[in-house]
Amino acid sequence: MKIMRVEKTLVSTNRIDAFGHRPLLVVQDKPGGPRSVAVDAVGCVPGDWVLCVGSSAARDAAGAKDFPSDLTIVGIIDRWDGEKS
Amino acid sequence: MEILRVVDELVCTRRVPGMQLSALRVLENAQGALSVATDPVGAPPGKWVFVTAGSAARLAMKDATTITDLTICGIIDRWEEEAGKIGAMQNS
Repeated sequence: MKIMRVEKTLVSTNRIDAFGHRPLLVVQDKPGGPRSVAVDAVGCVPGDWVLCVGSSAARDAAGAKDFPSDLTIVGIIDRWDGEKS
Repeated sequence: MEILRVVDELVCTRRVPGMQLSALRVLENAQGALSVATDPVGAPPGKWVFVTAGSAARLAMKDATTITDLTICGIIDRWEEEAGKIGAMQNS
């Protein structure tokens, strides 16, 4: 699992059916770092530090074993000092 | 999932049967590295898309038995900041 920070929401109207209407968020390793897109399974807002899972756990966490996600947010971290990481 | 930009279509007539007739796209990341993904969406060149990798890429195809490790999941409606960066890279 990785600690990441939510930067903003991602809007994609034209997407494959398998994704349904699941919310997508742009996340970063650290502020200013490389960006990834994650499926939001908990409901977080930009600025939150979150816990992300990858591989098959990401598919399971997104709601179904055949959901085509490779990065899913599974938790919001209560307190995290971003400067430390 | 990664955020990439569609550079071009890729024509590949001779392929393993497992790849079926899936459309292919050449994609570029913000650093300029190229990769190829299967495209069930129909993304035109120039658009920013998000892709899923690994075994999830096969599930993202309509037929989950398709041989692929990178699939376009959707076209991003608005993605501006990186566009300028890539344009600057190509000009330099």
